[in-house]
Amino acid sequence: MAIKPLLTKDFATENLEQLKVYERTGGYAGFKKTLEMQPDALVDMVKKSGLRGRGGAGFPTGNKWSFLPKGVYPRYLVCNADESEPGCFKDRYLMEESPHQVLEGILIASYAIGCNLAFIYIRGEYLPQHEALENAIDEARQAGYLGKNVLGKGYDIDVILHRGAGAYICGEETAMLTSLEGYRGEPRLKPPFPAVKGLYGKPTVVNNVETVANLPHIVLNGADWFKAIGTPTGSGTRLWCMSGHVNRPGNYEMENGTPIRELIEEHGGGVWKNRKLKAFQPGGASMMVLLPEHLDVGLDFDAIAKAGSLAGAGAMVVMDETTCMVDAARRYVKFFEHESCGKCTPCREGTYWMANIFDRFEGGEAKPGDIDLLLDIGYNIDGRSFCPLGDASTWFPRSVIKFFRDEFQEHISEKGCPFKKSVQEAVA
Amino acid sequence: MAAVQTDQVTLTVNGQSVTVPKGTLILDAAKKVGIDIPIFCSHPKMAPVAVCRMCLVEVEKMPKLQPACAVYVADGMVVKTTTEQVGKYQKGVLEFLLINHPLDCPICDKGGECPLQDQTYQYGPGASRFDFQKAHFDKAVPLSDKILLDRERCILCWRCTRFSEEISGERELALIQRGVHTIIGTFNDEPAQSNYQGNWTEICPVGALTSRQYRFISRPWDLDRTASVCPGCSMGCNIQIDARNNRIGRFQSRENLAVDDGWLCDFGRYSFPNFQRTGQDRPQIRRNGTLEEVSYDEAIAFAADGLKQAGRQVAGWASPADSNEEFFLFRRLFREVFESPNLDHRAGTLVDAEPDDMALAIEDIERCDQVVVLGGQEVIDAAPVLHLRLFKSQRKGVNVANVGASEVAEAVAGVRPDCTAVGILATEANKQAAVDLQRKLSRKVKGSVRRLIVTTGPNGRGAKDLGILPHLGPGYASLNGQEGKGRPEWPGAGVKALYVHASSALHGFVPNDAESMWLPGLPLVIFHRFRASPLDELAHVILPGRAFTEKNGTVTNMEGRVQRIRSGIDAEAIRDDWRVFQEIANHLGASWNYESVDQITADLLRAVPPYAALNQGARVLWSEPS
Repeated sequence: MAIKPLLTKDFATENLEQLKVYERTGGYAGFKKTLEMQPDALVDMVKKSGLRGRGGAGFPTGNKWSFLPKGVYPRYLVCNADESEPGCFKDRYLMEESPHQVLEGILIASYAIGCNLAFIYIRGEYLPQHEALENAIDEARQAGYLGKNVLGKGYDIDVILHRGAGAYICGEETAMLTSLEGYRGEPRLKPPFPAVKGLYGKPTVVNNVETVANLPHIVLNGADWFKAIGTPTGSGTRLWCMSGHVNRPGNYEMENGTPIRELIEEHGGGVWKNRKLKAFQPGGASMMVLLPEHLDVGLDFDAIAKAGSLAGAGAMVVMDETTCMVDAARRYVKFFEHESCGKCTPCREGTYWMANIFDRFEGGEAKPGDIDLLLDIGYNIDGRSFCPLGDASTWFPRSVIKFFRDEFQEHISEKGCPFKKSVQEAVA
Repeated sequence: MAAVQTDQVTLTVNGQSVTVPKGTLILDAAKKVGIDIPIFCSHPKMAPVAVCRMCLVEVEKMPKLQPACAVYVADGMVVKTTTEQVGKYQKGVLEFLLINHPLDCPICDKGGECPLQDQTYQYGPGASRFDFQKAHFDKAVPLSDKILLDRERCILCWRCTRFSEEISGERELALIQRGVHTIIGTFNDEPAQSNYQGNWTEICPVGALTSRQYRFISRPWDLDRTASVCPGCSMGCNIQIDARNNRIGRFQSRENLAVDDGWLCDFGRYSFPNFQRTGQDRPQIRRNGTLEEVSYDEAIAFAADGLKQAGRQVAGWASPADSNEEFFLFRRLFREVFESPNLDHRAGTLVDAEPDDMALAIEDIERCDQVVVLGGQEVIDAAPVLHLRLFKSQRKGVNVANVGASEVAEAVAGVRPDCTAVGILATEANKQAAVDLQRKLSRKVKGSVRRLIVTTGPNGRGAKDLGILPHLGPGYASLNGQEGKGRPEWPGAGVKALYVHASSALHGFVPNDAESMWLPGLPLVIFHRFRASPLDELAHVILPGRAFTEKNGTVTNMEGRVQRIRSGIDAEAIRDDWRVFQEIANHLGASWNYESVDQITADLLRAVPPYAALNQGARVLWSEPS
C-alpha cells in the first residue's frame, strides 16, 4: 500500500510554521468553510468520517462531541498536547512542523461544540513546540482567526496555551483538567465525565493533537473521502513514531491498515545491523509486546487489538535479537513507578513492588517464585487502579512474561542477565 | 400503562434485595442489609474519592470491580461482595497497603482500634510476599504542638486532607510529592494552626496522625470509656472520657448529629489536663490565720456555723460548669435555707437571660438561608465547633455573614428581604446588639428571624434556666420583688459570707479588682472547688469538690439541650458536691434526704417540668419562641 500523506503532505514545504506559508498550502480554508456550516452538521460530518481519537483509546471523535449536555455553557475544548509516553513523539512533530494545522483543527472542533475558549495543554518539556504554537496563536489572532467575531462571522474563539510541569499523569484527561485548574495533577472520579462536568465544572471535550489536525482535511474533502482512506473501522492515516533498533527511526504517516511489516521493513529500513527482529511494541510504553509473527497485522486500532496489543498513541518500538526483554520490561515498569501519581493504592504500591522485583532480576538475585509473583501483582493492579496508568503499567511486563518466560527463568538460573555479554559485543 | 415514577431503587447485594433512595452509594445500600464492605478512604461526611481501592466489589454487567464507596446504586443492580475475585483482590490490596507500612503495631497508639489492623485480620493475607526494603519516611513529624505525623504508617487515604478542605475549610493539609514518595504535610512545613486537628487523629484509619497528649499513654483495651459531654464550652459536644488507671487519657468524640456532628474542637478535646486530679485534696479550715486539714464533717460544721452567723447576708456563686442537679440544690440552699436571693453564676457583665436566646437550634443553622455571625471570630472562639456547622452550611448554600458586633446597621443592610429563615449568632457580651439586630431584621425580611446566644461555660444555660441569677427564678420566672444582688454588686452590699462553688478550672471564680479589695475583709469565704486556685489563700473553708468529669448529672447546652454527664474518674475520696450541700442544709435545720443524683434529677424534673426534655435528648422549650 502506498503512503497517502494527509497530515504531513506539506511538511516538505519550507517555513510551513508561518501563517502565510500555511495559507498557501490551503491552510485555514477548512476553518473558513466551517464557519459557513451549522455546528450540528459539522458534528455529523465528523461522525460520518469515522475519525477516532488519536490519543490512544481510539474513541470516535464525533460521538465524543455529541455527549455534551444541551444548553449548558460555557463549554471548553482542551487539546491534549501532553505527549509523554515513552516511544511517542508524533504530536511534537505535528506541532513543530505545522502548528497552524493543529490550531486550525482546534478552531474547527471548538466551533463544532460551541466553545468560545479552548486550551492547549502542552507537555512542559516541549519548549520549541510551545514556541511554535505561541507564534501560531499570535499570527492567527492578528489575522483575525482568533478573537471576537472571527472573520466577521459572529463567532468568538480564543485559545490559551498552557505548559505542563512534567507529569505523565497529566496526559490522562481528568488529571489534565485538574492540573489546568491549578491543582495537583491527579485523575478525577468518573462519572461525572468531562463531557458533563469537566474543566471548571463545565462540559468539556478533550481531543488529542493529531485528532484535531485531521479536522481541516475532513472539512475540506468531506466525510466520504476520509472514510475511504484506511480500514472500515479505522478511517484515515496515523503517524507512527518508530524508534529502537531500526535503520531509519522517525515519524511515518501511514494509511490505516498498512501492514506493520511495511512500516518497519520498507520505511524503517528494517532492523539495524542486519540483526533479526525479536519483538516490537506498538502504541507506547503501556502496550503489550508483539512478535515477528505479528508483522502482517495491519496498522489499525482493531487489528492490533485483535493481535493482543493496542495501537495506543502510535509508537512503534523495534527490538532486535540482542534485546533483554526482562530489562526492557524493567525500564518501562520503572517509568510507571516514577510517574504514578500516588493517588490509588494498587498503582502506587504495586509499581514500586514490581520495580523492586525487576531490579532483582537484573541484579541476579531473583527467586524462582518471582515470575508468578509479578503476574499476581499485575493481576491485582490491572482493572483495580483508579485510572489507566496503573492498569497500563502491567500490560507490557505481563505480555513479556507470556512470550519470554524462558528469559526470566534464565535470569534466575544464571543469576543475572544473559544478554549483558551480547550487548557488550554489539556495542563493540 | 404509565410508568410509576419513584425515587427508590431496588438492587440485590449478595442475593439480598434492598430498596434505597436514588443517589445511595453501593456501600450504604449494603450496610442497610447488614453487609459490611471494608473501607479506608471512604467517610460518610466527605465526598467519595475511591483512592484506597479497598471496597472494590463485583457488579454484574460491569467489566471491572467497582468501588462501592463511589458508585451509586441503579435499579436492578446485582452486587456481589464476597466472590472469589473480590476476596482475592482484598488480600491483594491489603498486601499492597502493608508493603510500605512499618507494622509497628506493638508500639502504635492506634493498635487495637486500627481499621488497617482489623481489616488485615478480617480480609488480609496471613503473610506478605514483599521481601524488599520498605520505603522509609520521617516518623513522629510534628505537624503542630498538638499532632504528630508518622509518614511510614500513613496509607494516603486522604481523609485528613479532605477534612481540612471539606469539613473545616482551612486547607492546611495537602499531599506532597507523588507515587510511592507521596506524603501528607502542611505548606512549607509550617505548624498547622487549625483548632480542629484532633479530629484528624480520629478519622485517620491508621496510626499516622496521633495526639501528642495521648502518645504512648494507653492501649485502647486498657481504657475505661465513659459517655459524657465536653466541659470546654456551651456547645455541649458529646464526648467519651477515656481513662486508664483512673486517669484521663483523652477525650474522644461521640457523634451527636444535632450538636457536634461528630467533631470536637482542640480547645475542648485537649482541655482534659485541666480536669486531671493531682495528688490528695482534703478539706481545710482556717484557724488563727492558717489553713489546717480537717475531716469533711468538721469542715461542713465549721462552714454551716459561719453561714448561720451571717444570716441572710450570704452570697453564692456557682460556676457555669456545675451540673443542673448542683444548681438545683445550690439554689434551694440559698432560697430555702439561707433565705438569701444573692445568687449568681456570671463572671462580669450582667447579661439578661430569656428563652428567646436559644430559639435557634444548632442544627437549624443549616436550614437557614442567611446566618449573621455577630462578632465573627469572637463567636467561633466562644464555641469553636460552630465553625464546622457554619462551614457545612455554607457548602450547602447558606449565606453566612461575619460582621463586627457594633455593625448592626451593616448587618441589616446585608440581608436580603426575601430570606425565609435568618439566624443570628452572638456571644453573651453582644446579646443586646443581637436583640437589636433581630428586631430590625424581623421588620425587614419576610421569613423568621431567630437568635442563638452562646452562653459562657458548659452549663451556663442550665444556670440561667434554673435561676442561678439574682433576679430570675427557675424557668425565667419573675421574683416579684424578691430580687437579690448580682455578683458585681456584692462588694459594698453588706455581704458577710461568700460561698463559691466551682467544678472547672476553666470557668472558676476569678476575682476582679473590686473583688480583690473586698474579699480579704469578708468574715467568711467558703471555697468548694475541684482544684486549688489563688482564692484558696482567701478562703476560710476549703471543701474539695469533684471535677466536671468526676460527677454524674445533667448539663444544658447553649441551645437548651439537656444532656447527661457521667463520671469518667472514680474520685471516691472526694465527697459528692450535692452531698455537701445537703449536709450544710441539714446542719442548718433542713431535712433533705437525697441518696443519689438520680433522685435530685427526678426532683428537678418535677420542679422544672420542661426539663423532661432530658429523657428525649431534646431541647428544653419554655414556650413558643416569640
